[in-house]
Amino acid sequence: MYPPKLNNIINLFEMLPEVERRETLVSYADSAKKQEPRAGEQFELEDVRKDEECADTVGVYLHVDEEGKAHFRMTLGAEVQTLTRAMTAILCKGLDGATPQEILELPSDFVTRIVGEQLVRVRSQTTYYILTRMKGICKVYLDRQRRMAAAAVA
Amino acid sequence: MNLPTSYAHPEALVETDWLAEHLNDDGIRIVESNEDILLYDTGHIPGAVHIDWRSDLQDPLIRDYISPEKFAEVCSRNGITPDTTCVFYGDKANWWATYALWAFRLFGHTKVKVLNGGRDKWKAEGRPSTREVPKYPRTDYPVPPKRFDAEIRAFADDALKQSKAGQPLIDVRSPGEFKGDITHMPEYPQEGVLRGGHIPGAKSVPWKTAANDNGTFKSASELAKIYMQDCGITPEKETIVYCRIGERSSHTWFVLTYLLGIDNVRNYDGSWTEWGNRVGMPIERGA
Repeated sequence: MYPPKLNNIINLFEMLPEVERRETLVSYADSAKKQEPRAGEQFELEDVRKDEECADTVGVYLHVDEEGKAHFRMTLGAEVQTLTRAMTAILCKGLDGATPQEILELPSDFVTRIVGEQLVRVRSQTTYYILTRMKGICKVYLDRQRRMAAAAVA
Repeated sequence: MNLPTSYAHPEALVETDWLAEHLNDDGIRIVESNEDILLYDTGHIPGAVHIDWRSDLQDPLIRDYISPEKFAEVCSRNGITPDTTCVFYGDKANWWATYALWAFRLFGHTKVKVLNGGRDKWKAEGRPSTREVPKYPRTDYPVPPKRFDAEIRAFADDALKQSKAGQPLIDVRSPGEFKGDITHMPEYPQEGVLRGGHIPGAKSVPWKTAANDNGTFKSASELAKIYMQDCGITPEKETIVYCRIGERSSHTWFVLTYLLGIDNVRNYDGSWTEWGNRVGMPIERGA
């Protein structure tokens, strides 16, 4: 149902008691900077913007390899909240290698299983924001591919 | 009018230097309260406890604050007694710290202080931080006999009465929210408000007017000019402050109450998310 790497992360979080769950989220947040684009990397799509749903600018960079697998990089402004940073690292790792179509069709119910019901309840918009942005760039990519395919047939 | 030149209650404000020297004092509990729910977990002032404005201080079902019994439990599990001086600090120039302080006052806890400049100033000065969550012996905080809503909290009907009577109402939201161009803070989530604008007769004094760029409070003279001279707020008139959900107005409530010594100020915590959604409430738009 979920991409294998994401499934492993979900299983990890579900085993953790609440205190360790928060510690693990903070560890992921600390590693979010590692998801930034690296020198020489090429992307099919880049989407850098400041939305009202988030406290600062978030950049999403999508590369789709020759096998049609998606790879993400992200940039986060200084004011982006810790939970958003955590979700950035989790989703970049968890969705790496999934196809854009799989990501677009991914149900969002796993977020609660990672973050926990309490955090989702008190900061719901924060927890879903990054997933929404990643799905958004996948949709743009797939729409573009369809248009190109249609143009090639015509 | 003679404007004050010093804070009315300077003891309610502590500087980072002072706190650094009193981290381990008996009778003090440092309380961090943030907008960023995991910020405390990333590192906090040594010895500080975390009290979240939403999960700890608000009822999970009804839009209201917790009961006196639950407040006693929050204090007891954080090793707080009625004699404990709570020093509040947090992110966003102490929005949520002053909100938590105000909520503590709702339950009659009067030994409260704010760390001037909050979390950002402490961090900017390179002061110590830890991820170690302190453990304090549990206390037996007595259940407060009542909540002091009437003294420091305003409800929608109080704000309506204030508006009709032409008494001071201070809207501390951004100018765009006041004018009705937007219904939430710039760069913040939409909170589902159906109408934009402000309570008729309210004056626009954004919360940030009271703060310096580093999040510290402006001087007494500067604050007195802003609120007393330019807005006409006096100790003789009752004043109501509001924002969107009551957090930014807690900052202004603290300024008026503790720094300027105006006692009869109430925070309308229902604020615009209630007023802008409630059927039949009068609204003004424009500057």
